[in-house]
Amino acid sequence: MTSLVAPTFTFTLSTRSNAARFGPRIGTISLKRPIPSSSSENDLQISTPSLITTTSRGVVPHLSRDHHSQTSAIKWVNVPFETFLEHNPPVPTLQPGNDPLHTFLGFGLGRHLVSMTARDPADGREMPPNGNKQISAMTLRGVRKLSPTEWRNYTQTCNPDIVFALSDTPFTDPPYSQKRLTKSIDRSASWLATMLAPSPRGTPNIILHMAGNTSIPARTAFSSSLLEPLFGPEAEAIAPFKTLDEGVTGYSFDLVPIRQGIDALERKNGIDAPVSIAPLFESSLNRLPTEKIRIVNSVQTPHEVLDLISTIGIDMFSAECAQNAANVGVAFDFAFPVRGGEVVGEKKQLGHNLYDTKYAFDFIPFADSFRGELPPDTNGVQQTVVDETLPVCPCMACSPFTPPSRLYHGVDTPDHSLAEEQFTHPDGSSLYQPPFTRAYLHHLLHTHEMSAHALLAMHNLEVFESFFKGIREVIAANEGREDGEKRWNVEVQRFKDTYDDNLRVVEEASVGWKEVDLARGKGRLAREKEEVVAE
Amino acid sequence: MQFQIIAKCPTTRARVSRMTLAHGTTMLPTFMPVATQAAIKGLTPQQMESLGVTLMLNNTYHLNLRPGLKVLNAAGGAHKFQGWKKNLLTDSGGFQLVSLSKFTTITEEGALFSSPFTGEPTMLTVMHISSPFAAQINDPFQPEESISIQHTIGADIIMQLDDVVSSLTTGPRVKEAMERSVRWLDRCIIEHENSGKKNEQNLFAIVQGGLDPALRDQCLDEMIARKDGVAGYAIGGLSGGEEKDVFWRVIKQCADRLPEERPRYSMGIGFAEDLLVCVALGVDMADCVFPTRTARFGVALTHDGPLNLKLSKHATELKPLDDSCPCPTCAGRTSRAMLHHIVTHETAAAHAITLHNIVFQARVMGEAREAIIGERFPDYLRNFFARYFRSSGYPEWCVNALRSVGVDITEDSDIPIIPGSGAKWEYAEK
Repeated sequence: MTSLVAPTFTFTLSTRSNAARFGPRIGTISLKRPIPSSSSENDLQISTPSLITTTSRGVVPHLSRDHHSQTSAIKWVNVPFETFLEHNPPVPTLQPGNDPLHTFLGFGLGRHLVSMTARDPADGREMPPNGNKQISAMTLRGVRKLSPTEWRNYTQTCNPDIVFALSDTPFTDPPYSQKRLTKSIDRSASWLATMLAPSPRGTPNIILHMAGNTSIPARTAFSSSLLEPLFGPEAEAIAPFKTLDEGVTGYSFDLVPIRQGIDALERKNGIDAPVSIAPLFESSLNRLPTEKIRIVNSVQTPHEVLDLISTIGIDMFSAECAQNAANVGVAFDFAFPVRGGEVVGEKKQLGHNLYDTKYAFDFIPFADSFRGELPPDTNGVQQTVVDETLPVCPCMACSPFTPPSRLYHGVDTPDHSLAEEQFTHPDGSSLYQPPFTRAYLHHLLHTHEMSAHALLAMHNLEVFESFFKGIREVIAANEGREDGEKRWNVEVQRFKDTYDDNLRVVEEASVGWKEVDLARGKGRLAREKEEVVAE
Repeated sequence: MQFQIIAKCPTTRARVSRMTLAHGTTMLPTFMPVATQAAIKGLTPQQMESLGVTLMLNNTYHLNLRPGLKVLNAAGGAHKFQGWKKNLLTDSGGFQLVSLSKFTTITEEGALFSSPFTGEPTMLTVMHISSPFAAQINDPFQPEESISIQHTIGADIIMQLDDVVSSLTTGPRVKEAMERSVRWLDRCIIEHENSGKKNEQNLFAIVQGGLDPALRDQCLDEMIARKDGVAGYAIGGLSGGEEKDVFWRVIKQCADRLPEERPRYSMGIGFAEDLLVCVALGVDMADCVFPTRTARFGVALTHDGPLNLKLSKHATELKPLDDSCPCPTCAGRTSRAMLHHIVTHETAAAHAITLHNIVFQARVMGEAREAIIGERFPDYLRNFFARYFRSSGYPEWCVNALRSVGVDITEDSDIPIIPGSGAKWEYAEK
């Protein structure tokens, strides 16, 4: 097999952002693909802060390939690999070509940066303990062991753009003892060394999870171990790197195990001694180079995003909260910076629970903070005046457009049908169609139609990306200003004053989702039969 | 409606025609995917457009329950509600009299539905225009009401309310249902004439009469006599588990007698072999949930027969479903192995196979149109059947049906003939 070479990943912070260790920062990810797939079309850039789209069994949930390539927010896609351990060898490793993971999963070279992680960072279920030489991974067929050597082989064969190094993150019974955390940081460092071992393919772009859970000393110790120059056989093992950190492209933080650790500590120590997240992150990053990319998995709210940008300077956030909201029927509706004046009265919710019967006759697009390219198309009923100054939501729910081409199957081309078919405007721009409405989504959700979740997933990802775009613009506008920090904080505060960070709509929608699923989902006929028999 | 025949097969009864409705032109013969509740499961209308679908179905019975007519009225009809710009057909709700028969009583006035979902207030199944969400158990569902509901939905083709009995029913009930369907057709025609919707919407009659040729003939006589009131004819009351050898004879009998200048629609037909036999017998349109439903269960349709992607034999198969298929799933080179990995676990697998199966159905019909116009339809039939049934054998009823219109698919073929329905399926190897 030919050697697969990883693309060149560069992360550049704006000059002013680079000055401070912590605080809001903007940057650019630039991915340049190697020869032979090299062509500028296959290179891509991502402005940060931004989002990482999560996948389940290798797919963006609810989205067909045509839909995920139509969603501009989907640029960095993270693939938890553990479900592929169901088959030995994992099937993506059998895929031929220079970019097996992209090819197998259907992501575009010029469109998607694909990262590969062993476990799903959002999965906090209790697991059998990890060992010195393997982690426990979850598959549909039960727990599988995965060793650092196997992980190195799989990632080399699949050739993703980014590899998350194997990390010893326990999911047993928090809080973890000092002894367990010591083991965790030692193993994580040693497993990183396995990834850095010299290879004809070169070193992949590696993101390292910051080990140490809720212990500041453990986190500090882990970072220090990365910076320590290695000698003798240890140094040879990772040559030409002199320290582990030299071989690392960026740092990641998984919030799920940290939250579990914090909850456990608070249960143990009483809630009078709350543990906050920022000092934990600081203890990991205090001595490490500031110019490397920082990633956080599993934020729950945009508020949390703003806090982590303000206090730490995180660059990429997984989009689980947006995707989970789509799973249960919530359409996101928030924007940063907040437009208009002060909010009077109750704070706004972050989205709409479209199961709510109040939407049954609501023939307007999903979000109040955005408009579609075209106004809604109703028969004058409840026609609202569209605020032209609102930003456009580019998702396929708010701004659907006539497909630029269609398939023909035989004797159905215009010369036979005599139909005038128009796919774009004469100038080549898209023929937009009216947005899908809350009323239609309400109907789809209550009839258990899967299209609802496809539309919501695309919408929520675009709204989340718009939120990041706003963040980038505010940071850029304030850079170099003496009152920059103050002006940023004012915008953050305005957002927090406007939007409630409780996830009430998500909770309510989850109840609606369960009710409909019980009434109309899998096993429905069996349940109905029981009821009929019971009569 | 403008209906124009542009080519006829010199051998069989197959024909190619152009049907122009308020939302565009559809070339026939065609297969119509079913968007029961105003959505093709998992897809968007824009995706359907990109697949080249120009005519699909909604179910009156279901839309009347949810979202209900008030919502559809407020939205300006089903087209706008679901964002579908092309042609739409709604059934009358008649079929649900059978599929939900344990909950219905048929009287001359109409059909009486009771709730199949005890204690489910949203699921009360009375079809009544004024009270989509309310319980009116004693209110029968009348032919006029079915038409009026379909006017509100606004489909380009609407169906008469018919008294459907299961195709396995025997005895006087079949005759009663046929005669009642004729009487209800009259009521539907009057309702449609008086509605002022005749320019945008087209009423189709549904031929009933069970499996009894004499009853079918009577029904045909009566309904052909009402030709001026209807834009097209459907053949109903089939696809209910009857013998395939009886099925095709009924289709042939009806298709032979129905007026040349009206489109013929065979209801509930979706297997590739059934479609092609029906086309050869002179049918122009068909619908079925089969291709989209089977997709959700992990079965992809191909010219070599169905592929059951749940089977472990596909686990490491890195080729697409069909190299020559233009659907987004195959054009994007989605492998069988990837589909095997996600099928029944991720909705995206259902979407991927649904896209493919809809295109497969469209290709089968598109290739048929091309063959008919090129005067090589018998060859197309022979080649299609030879490839599709190579591994399993020709269903005897297909051989008989096609012989009846002058095509012998067994000619120059060593593929055996097998009795029974012969429907093809992919099973795990022992």
